[in-house]
Amino acid sequence: MNRASLHFLLAALVAIALPLFMRSGTLASEVLIFAMAAAACNLLLGYTGLLSFGQGIFFGLGSYAAGLTLLHTSLPLGVALALAAIAGAVVATGVGWLSIRRQGVYFVMLTLAFSQFFYFLAYTFKDITGGDNGLLNIPRTAIGPFSLGDSWAYYAFVALLFLIVFAALQRVASSTFGRTLLAVRDNEERARAIGFPVRNFKITAFAISGAVTGLAGALHALLIGVAPLSNIEYHMSESILIMTIIGGSGNLFASVLGAGFYVIVSDLLSSIWPRWLLLLGGLLIVVALFMQKGLWGLIERLVDALPMGRRSPIESPIQPESEGRGI
Amino acid sequence: MIYLFQLVNGIGLGMLYFLLAVGLSIIFGLLHFVNFAHGAFYLLGAYLVYDMTERGLNFWAALLVAPIIVGALAALTESVLLRRIYHLPHTFHILVTVGLALMVQELVIILWGPVGGNVPTPDALSGVFILGDFIYPQYRLFVIGLTLVLAIGLWGLLEGTRLGAVVRAGSESTDMVSLLGIDILRVNTAVFALGAGLAGLAGALAAPIRGVEPFMGVEALGIAFVVVVIGGMGSYTGALIAGLLVGIVQSIMTTLWPEGARLMIYLGMGLVILTMPRGLLGRA
Amino acid sequence: MLNRRDLLKLSSVAASSLLLPAGLRPAFAAGEDITIGAPLPMSGPFAANGKFGSMGTAMIVEEVGKVLDRKLGYLEIDTEGKPATAVRKVQEAMERGVTLFAGGILSSEALAMGKEVAKGKGVFITTAGADEITGSECNKGTFRWSVPTFGAIEQTVRPLIEQLPNAKRWYTITPQYVFGDGLLNAAKAIFKEKGIEHVGNSYHSLTEKEFSGYLTNAMAAKPDALLILNFGSQSSDTLRQAVSFGMKKRMTILLAWASGLEQFETLGPDLMEGVYFGAQYWHGIDSPFNRELVAKVQAKHKMNPNYAFASAYLTTKILIDAATKAGSTEGSAVIQAMEGMKYTGLTGDEEIRAADHQVIKNYYLLKGKAKSAMKDKDDYADIISFGKSFQSPEQAQCKMA
Repeated sequence: MNRASLHFLLAALVAIALPLFMRSGTLASEVLIFAMAAAACNLLLGYTGLLSFGQGIFFGLGSYAAGLTLLHTSLPLGVALALAAIAGAVVATGVGWLSIRRQGVYFVMLTLAFSQFFYFLAYTFKDITGGDNGLLNIPRTAIGPFSLGDSWAYYAFVALLFLIVFAALQRVASSTFGRTLLAVRDNEERARAIGFPVRNFKITAFAISGAVTGLAGALHALLIGVAPLSNIEYHMSESILIMTIIGGSGNLFASVLGAGFYVIVSDLLSSIWPRWLLLLGGLLIVVALFMQKGLWGLIERLVDALPMGRRSPIESPIQPESEGRGI
Repeated sequence: MIYLFQLVNGIGLGMLYFLLAVGLSIIFGLLHFVNFAHGAFYLLGAYLVYDMTERGLNFWAALLVAPIIVGALAALTESVLLRRIYHLPHTFHILVTVGLALMVQELVIILWGPVGGNVPTPDALSGVFILGDFIYPQYRLFVIGLTLVLAIGLWGLLEGTRLGAVVRAGSESTDMVSLLGIDILRVNTAVFALGAGLAGLAGALAAPIRGVEPFMGVEALGIAFVVVVIGGMGSYTGALIAGLLVGIVQSIMTTLWPEGARLMIYLGMGLVILTMPRGLLGRA
Repeated sequence: MLNRRDLLKLSSVAASSLLLPAGLRPAFAAGEDITIGAPLPMSGPFAANGKFGSMGTAMIVEEVGKVLDRKLGYLEIDTEGKPATAVRKVQEAMERGVTLFAGGILSSEALAMGKEVAKGKGVFITTAGADEITGSECNKGTFRWSVPTFGAIEQTVRPLIEQLPNAKRWYTITPQYVFGDGLLNAAKAIFKEKGIEHVGNSYHSLTEKEFSGYLTNAMAAKPDALLILNFGSQSSDTLRQAVSFGMKKRMTILLAWASGLEQFETLGPDLMEGVYFGAQYWHGIDSPFNRELVAKVQAKHKMNPNYAFASAYLTTKILIDAATKAGSTEGSAVIQAMEGMKYTGLTGDEEIRAADHQVIKNYYLLKGKAKSAMKDKDDYADIISFGKSFQSPEQAQCKMA
């Protein structure tokens, strides 16, 4: 079995295992929702080499889009989700198109500026977004004949979408497009010299990332019944990035690990010690110092260390950059 | 009259922003290091002054001591931790410094509680300066004056001393500087400590105006980034001009369009990045 | 470091720990302990409120010990000040059988949590300030202890106007959002009625920290009184900066929505002297229940209860008493017991209005004292006046389903 199939299997395993190990359908759903967002972020970070502080924009917009659709129209749930993905893709295209005009740290700062800009828009247009209160009373309508009211029923729905999206992202990553992105990440000038339409590819990566993140945002709004202002805040972008980096930017399943770890551990820690952010801060430093390949890299190392002879290790389909060029 | 006031106020704000940002700018210029913990130095400077004045220490003494402590802590952090990650991609710089910022913030809460506090203005400066219709707190005038003096001093340091020459040269090429036999590691630490100390001083000066609370570092970081980007990373004069610009715009916005003040600043940052990639005066 | 309070908390947490495999999960059947949910911002920018709120909840839970012959515990839920986290954790708690919740400091999280709890047929009592909570967004599951904007202004602006007959010109500083507008509109109505000249208003954003511009505008309008309508650290910043501009000497200052002791501690008597404050609660309130609480808190924690502490204590107690009265912790039974409930509370006799679930209680006008006049380190202000002012449920736009 090739690596991509193995990773998909692992993702499926996670989706099945969560209900067995967790009491809360809500928390389990949140894990998969952020797994989607982190994987989408990784498409930009790990595969294209773009560190985007703008993921919160698409996440929040997805929440608002789904919320507004379900509150003000009688369109079905599927349509609401699709609209959220489209909204994410469209805005991501715009943000991406402008941001990629600059490289490196300036690109990062630009996405940060955009993040603040959209937060401001959401806050100001309170008649649409509910401002500080957010959009309330978002109904979790049924999908076809299936009611999604029960938290585990909703989880099943989220898990299904998660697996579809994960497989789709894998397809993108392993396609020619995906491998071109890797080439762009590693050496942009060369890729351009060869004749790849680098700009268009980067924008497309943004669009795909935006669509998936928007969908995740929509699912999140449905999970909690609210589209809050905090979903579009800078802090959301930061959290998504942290999940992606902790997981490891090497492959998409690593993002699932990162998201799961972050969501579950912060939930656990916050119930034990109010100053849990201190531990999170420490963790970030540890990861940066000793685990640059993230949790996935840790697992790789553990597997490598197992005395099982010539067994082929679980590798990443791509090698993450470790030294040298900054992003 | 209101615009005269806003101008003066804007300059006052701007000078504080300059103090806050110049360190970040120089650090980036020399070390190519993205420092998301810069706001934490601002926070520490403010809280150290708060702590010392609460214990009865004279404000002026606290104002002197706090930035030095912040600088020392920064030097320690740099040599023990940050030095190890310079060679890594920017992603990890961001991760480490975000982590540091979080830890500092929580430590502040552990040490001084989550509520925040007040730093009383020193008696000598607690009055108002009145000139006709123009009323302005004496303390804020003092801040303007002091930061102007510091700005000149810092410029002198950069232009006139050996360290300054090394810093300026190092922003152009680190290899060259090391080839000249200068211990670039020590220079890095010194520069980092200086930048942090200046941010700490900004926090200390701001404390009587804004009070202290554990989350004040977050806002400071945002402003610092904006100023550095607009002014150009690595440029002293850029930080000065951009700081003043941001301060004045922010001040004038409170009269014209209060809700839009923050938007204007980030919009400005975005526009500058798009149209002037090096900022107003920056180098790579 | 682990004290009894932590053990109370942990036992609740452990009993419902998330990551135990199915076979090992302890049964959380009815007939076992009763757990009250305390959703509070324990981390993030409002951690101060969370800390004291949790202490207040812990105190009453420990005091009562048992309800309906079952052991009483509480579940501290860190909302992190974010509605999304708050809702999700409340959902989880309800999945685990918690039906009663007291908390929600921020309006955005309280509104969202209230909806979630109502959906799950639970009961949620909050102290958050937004009018919508018992107004346009009122619902069966949500109750509110604090006085909303109408009452806050009626009980501060009106008495002050009457006390200062020569203060005819008022300037307002208002945060630009629904809550701020609520306060402003209530104030403007009184201005009109009393013939006060509203010489100007400055709107500002929720994240503003620099008020010098607005204060200068205010000074240019030469008002007799400055009405500060923001809250939390913004109100502290506005007051601090106003004093630095010498405004205290030139006009009367009223901070209509102060949080009480926790805020006064960050301000200090030099800033507070001669300034008027509106507050939901003050440890100096002369009511039997409050006197008792203050004594208990001083004995146990060597401090005076602040607003977060006292309100958490009382709101949790209301839930406990209602459950006892109803003979069950089941949502609709408790709701029924709470609607119309009259009891002795912190501010004296209090009543839960059935139509919109708003508690009818006093709001206080305080005046800051000089340092030399303070009898102890917490004696920052004296109560000048107090009273109950509320819009009718119809005026508040509550249509309870």
